[in-house]
Amino acid sequence: MPTANVTDARMTKFKNKGKEPSKLRERRIAVCVELRKAQRSESILKKRNISSLPDDEALSPEYATDNKEVISIAIEEIICNVNSNSKEQQTRGCQAARKLLSRERNPPLKEIIDAGLLARFVDFLGRDDDPTLQFEAAWALTNIASGTSWHTQQVVENGAVPAFITLLGSPMLHISEQAVWALGNIAGDGPAYRDALIACNVIPALLARLTPDAPVGYLRNLTWTLSNLCRNKNPFPPLSAVQQVLPSLVQLLHLGDKDVLSDACWAISYLTDGSNDRIDVVVKTGIVPRVVALMEFEELSVLTPALRSMGNIVSGSDQQTQVAIDAGVLSVLPRLLRHPKPSVQKEAAWAVSNIAAGPCQQIQQLITCGLLPPLIDLLRNGDFKTQREAVWAITNYTSGGTVDQVVQLVQSGGLEAILDLLHIKDAKTILVILDAINNMFLAATKLGETEKLCLLVEEVGGLERIEQLQNHENDAVYRTAQELIEKYFNEDVEDECFKTEATERDFVFKPAEVDKQFNF
Amino acid sequence: MELNDANLQTLTEFLQKTLDPDPSVRRPAEKFLESVEGNQNYPILLLTLLEKSQDNVIRVCAAVTFKNYIKRNWRIVEDEPNKISEPDRTAIKANIVNLMLSSPEQIQKQLSDAISIIGREDFPQKWPDLLREMVNRFQSGDFHIINGVLRTAHSLFKRYRHEFKSNELWIEIKLVLDTFAKPLTELFKATIELCQTHSTDVNALKVLFSSLTLISKLFYSLNFQDLPEFFEDNMDTWMANFHSLLNLDNKLLQTDDEEEAGLLELLKSQICDNAALYAQKYDEEFQPYLPQFVTAIWNLLVTTGQEVKYDLLVSNAIQFLASVCERPHYKHLFEDQNTLTSICEKVIVPNMEFRSADEEAFEDNSEEYIRRDLEGSDIDTRRRAACDLVRGLCKFFEGPVTGIFSGYVNSMLGEYAKNPGVNWKHKDAAIYLVTSLASKAQTQKHGITQANELVNLTEFFVNHILTDLKSPNVNEFPVLKADAIKYVMIFRSQLPKEQLLQAVPLLVAHLQTESTVQHTYAAHALERLFTMRGPNNSTLISPTEIAPFTEQLLNNLFKALALPGSSENEYIMKAIMRSFSLLQEAIVPYIPTLIGQLTHKLLLVSKNPSKPHFNHYLFESLCLSIRITCKANSATVGSFEEALFPVFTEILQNDVQEFVPYVFQPVLWERTGNIPPLVRLLQAYLQKGGSTIATSAADKIPGLLGVFQKLIASKANDHQGFYLLNSIIEHMPPESITQYRKQIFILLFQRLQSSKTTKFIKSFLVFINLYCVKYGAIALQEIFDNIQPKMFGMVLEKIVIPDVQKISGQVEKKICAVGITKILTECPAMMDTEYTKLWSPLLQALIGLFELPEDDSIPDDEHFIDIEDTPGYQTAFSQLAFAGKKEHDPIGDAVSNPKILLAQSLHKLSTACPGRVPSMLSTSLNAEALQFLQGYLQAASVQLV
Repeated sequence: MPTANVTDARMTKFKNKGKEPSKLRERRIAVCVELRKAQRSESILKKRNISSLPDDEALSPEYATDNKEVISIAIEEIICNVNSNSKEQQTRGCQAARKLLSRERNPPLKEIIDAGLLARFVDFLGRDDDPTLQFEAAWALTNIASGTSWHTQQVVENGAVPAFITLLGSPMLHISEQAVWALGNIAGDGPAYRDALIACNVIPALLARLTPDAPVGYLRNLTWTLSNLCRNKNPFPPLSAVQQVLPSLVQLLHLGDKDVLSDACWAISYLTDGSNDRIDVVVKTGIVPRVVALMEFEELSVLTPALRSMGNIVSGSDQQTQVAIDAGVLSVLPRLLRHPKPSVQKEAAWAVSNIAAGPCQQIQQLITCGLLPPLIDLLRNGDFKTQREAVWAITNYTSGGTVDQVVQLVQSGGLEAILDLLHIKDAKTILVILDAINNMFLAATKLGETEKLCLLVEEVGGLERIEQLQNHENDAVYRTAQELIEKYFNEDVEDECFKTEATERDFVFKPAEVDKQFNF
Repeated sequence: MELNDANLQTLTEFLQKTLDPDPSVRRPAEKFLESVEGNQNYPILLLTLLEKSQDNVIRVCAAVTFKNYIKRNWRIVEDEPNKISEPDRTAIKANIVNLMLSSPEQIQKQLSDAISIIGREDFPQKWPDLLREMVNRFQSGDFHIINGVLRTAHSLFKRYRHEFKSNELWIEIKLVLDTFAKPLTELFKATIELCQTHSTDVNALKVLFSSLTLISKLFYSLNFQDLPEFFEDNMDTWMANFHSLLNLDNKLLQTDDEEEAGLLELLKSQICDNAALYAQKYDEEFQPYLPQFVTAIWNLLVTTGQEVKYDLLVSNAIQFLASVCERPHYKHLFEDQNTLTSICEKVIVPNMEFRSADEEAFEDNSEEYIRRDLEGSDIDTRRRAACDLVRGLCKFFEGPVTGIFSGYVNSMLGEYAKNPGVNWKHKDAAIYLVTSLASKAQTQKHGITQANELVNLTEFFVNHILTDLKSPNVNEFPVLKADAIKYVMIFRSQLPKEQLLQAVPLLVAHLQTESTVQHTYAAHALERLFTMRGPNNSTLISPTEIAPFTEQLLNNLFKALALPGSSENEYIMKAIMRSFSLLQEAIVPYIPTLIGQLTHKLLLVSKNPSKPHFNHYLFESLCLSIRITCKANSATVGSFEEALFPVFTEILQNDVQEFVPYVFQPVLWERTGNIPPLVRLLQAYLQKGGSTIATSAADKIPGLLGVFQKLIASKANDHQGFYLLNSIIEHMPPESITQYRKQIFILLFQRLQSSKTTKFIKSFLVFINLYCVKYGAIALQEIFDNIQPKMFGMVLEKIVIPDVQKISGQVEKKICAVGITKILTECPAMMDTEYTKLWSPLLQALIGLFELPEDDSIPDDEHFIDIEDTPGYQTAFSQLAFAGKKEHDPIGDAVSNPKILLAQSLHKLSTACPGRVPSMLSTSLNAEALQFLQGYLQAASVQLV
């Protein structure tokens, strides 16, 4: 929830225009239920290690089959080996399990769990005397933890968390790395396990491994796990944990590797996806100029989370938004609004919509930095989701902008562009457009130019569209359309203070009976 | 209420009675049913009857009664008692789906409606089994049942198309998708297979195609809010089948009916909508399918006939192409010259052709034709869709499209030239094509404001439009003539003035044509041309330029009103009004005839006022003619007065008897536009015939005051109410309104109480002072205090003293000054009651009115009150001032200088009660005011004692 401090003044400003102060923020968190496929551009929550070691022999046929019998025979053998007391057999069993779990299709996660092997694997994690066994067990557990929540839960309930945290300190880098990976999968499961890990002091243990000489592959895994520890809302990760991680994230954001940058950026995007005090913690690290620089990357894997982070930051307070503006975000956004990918256009338009919700000084900066032409272009040619964000930008702009700024928007083609969108198949967007039109009329009224604006609207076919909306099935849409027509396009305005009775022939001359005393 | 045979029998009897045509039987039965519907088991009894009654009529009647009962009672309103018991609710939900599906169609429809009403409240939380139950029926194989389920589902889900996104809504949709999407997809596939198996069985096909249409509608609803994961995964199945259905034709399903769309058309229309939905909202995912849909829909257009039954399909299909072609990344699908040519030739041109249905409307239903053609209510027509497609294509291909169409226009005009009698429709299409190609922006006020620069509008006008207008046989090819007139009208801002002037006499001639559309268009075109503004904001066309045709114009306009079908033609009446307004004094020579014709018309229509626009322009025309006559050249005004005044007086006075009964009818006052001219007319009648009304039409006075009451209730029109009231006070004999005075004031006070706007207060102040001047200060004080003790003081203190400074206008100020002077000096209550303390402040306010600048501040929240003209006495009257140049001053020469009057009146008062006036002045009037007052006293040469 937004806190009720002065920095939220820009939200409350909307009150005057009939908007709740928390409206804009609501737009971000409203999407709890999704009908769509999960976002493809998001970073992955859990990942399985399906690489193979250089000395692994080619996978024999029984590892690739889906034949239940073949698999159960293989598992029988694994059980046998893992439960034996022989080091070699244990290693062989563990390795066989890891290979099964690493095959590309249908790894038998449940079968391995049901075979009751997890407790043994966790035991093996503590076998400092046998690094190979440790490694194979860690790998097998990593892959099980990459499954569904239930799978992850089995790993955790067998006591893997403390074992993995200890394993982080292993002198063997590849073992430590596997532990990082496994912990990343557990953290990615959701806020509960994330916070359980944090409570077990996973963060200092991870950060201890963050050294300048760490190989890049290791750093990638480490960054990803850190990002999962920053991830998920309801609840957010504890503030103290965030404070612990942030300095390292800032460091990572200055490295050159794209994958590291990508995950570090995602982490920033998770941390800024919250209330203003959450955003504040990130902004105070001074990272905002770097985020702006990352928005200029060509690689979508970096650009996307950088842009997402920025969108979050400018949805914060006026001051936070100003930090982003001062860092030069407005000189990068025009290019992103023109980016060939619709998803980038959409995110950029969302960021602009939040800046446009600011005070008129910030709106002025939008104009100065040339944001209007590309924004209006998106209204005309963007895809549906982008158009929707761009419409919000226009409405926010028109409710907070000065009369001059609104005039400039109309002159730049903003009016025509939103009127053309009135045929859009989304009731909410139509309502938001009608709001913008109303705001434009308020400005025109102040200038005494309502009639001119009426003609402009009519000229480009807008009047006809608004008239048609009076038949819209959505109550709010048809009422708003009707009010607009009545207020600005209709000469017949009835404004009755009290009712006069009428018969067919004439009006009935008769004051209403009232006992009330007159008092003026 | 027990669920037993006796009760079933009673219910049957009452249901029977509700069908009785005799209200004395029917009404009590309906009342009875309403009185028992609160009892438990009532709905169950109805359901039992609709299922088991032997009498079919009773079954249907029970179904309808049940549906209405559900509609009235199912919703649980907070803080109101639950009107249906929980056991009944549970029983209804448990049985209704089964009942609906096993009932004959008439009953099924009612129950399906009832299910939607219940579903709207209870689904999904309180009716978790519903979906599962419906889905299970898909397995039944009985398409009567399946269609029942699909219809019910459609009524439950169609709100997803227009509701705002919300968590609650999406949770419901997700739930529906989880249980419904897969079975629906399976049903879709199975139905299509069955269509193939039964491709020769027309009855089976009909049922199956209704299912397919319903399934397609459900697809639209379920995919509206966002693209569901399931449908994204199964897009291949759906799109491939939609695509092949678009291409499908089956002779058995073709209907003979030319008007009503058949099953194939309905299905294909819905598929076009589905494709348009995906193209607009899920562009990224739909991209791979889009080109094949473009091709299919285009083929569909090329092969679909001209019959009306295809209109919706064709217009949906064209709209799909129009929305796709203006998207940058689909540009390539259209940019090939051959493609463009083919779209123009095979899709656009054929759909712009004038069809026999249009021809029928032109001849037999001109109002409808005009509304579609002129006023833009052609949203779903083919021509409109074709126009939109032209506009869409012009976004990227203006040059090539203009080129292609120029060729077509020329060839169509060539065809026409070869044999006009046979090929006149080609020219109509050519004109329509030019219009849609050239017009880029348009308003009612200015016509086309932005035109395609590649089209030479003037050349086309000279070569093809003017020639038709000049044709000596005005009644030949009426459609083409109407087209030509419309061309002038909509391109008026684009054509040079010389061309317009050339058109004016031709348009005047067309006012006489037989075709209603044609002479209406001529009137409308003239009216529009006369409103055009030239430099210096004067009219573009001057009265001098019209002079040669003035007589003809006025003659033809009035003659046109006599043509069959046009006796209340609003376009003609508006053209009359506009001509008067343009011509001004040039109409004076014709005034006697004009006024006669207008009043004649007024008397006719006021007996049965049905066309508000027509009446409005009629009143405006009457007022204009009065005003113009009186404003006329001062040198000739004397002779005019001599010549015209008797005419007016006679007309007005003769009409009073006949007219008065009609002018109070509420229907006339409904349009705000009618109000000013109607009030002016009433004022005129009051001035000329006030005493006649009082003597011979006294029963009409309440109606007159009713109008006043109606007007005073409106913030926009209250000043008009005061104009009327002031005229009543001024011109009606006082005794004729004595009995109404108190009520008048009560109304004014009620309005003051409910909404005290500045405009109202200004009008109110003028009125009470006029009343005071007319009836005396004592009468004013007494009537106030009679309504409520101490009212007079309250009004002085709260309204008069603080607000009198806001009065504007010389006459208004004078009325207030004289009125207040009377209050100060002729009202004993001001001297020796508690009102005395108001005496000095009131005097001070009066001196302020004389000396201080006007207070023109308006409270913040009043900026939006529309004041059509400054409220006031003078303005209202100058519009009707018969003498023309004099201001109307109800006080007149009786008081020439109100300051002197004040001095003299104070003097008189001071002599009546010596000593008191000077003492009141010296103790409570401020020094500045006192100084002004001394000046007045000196000027009047009087002294206070």
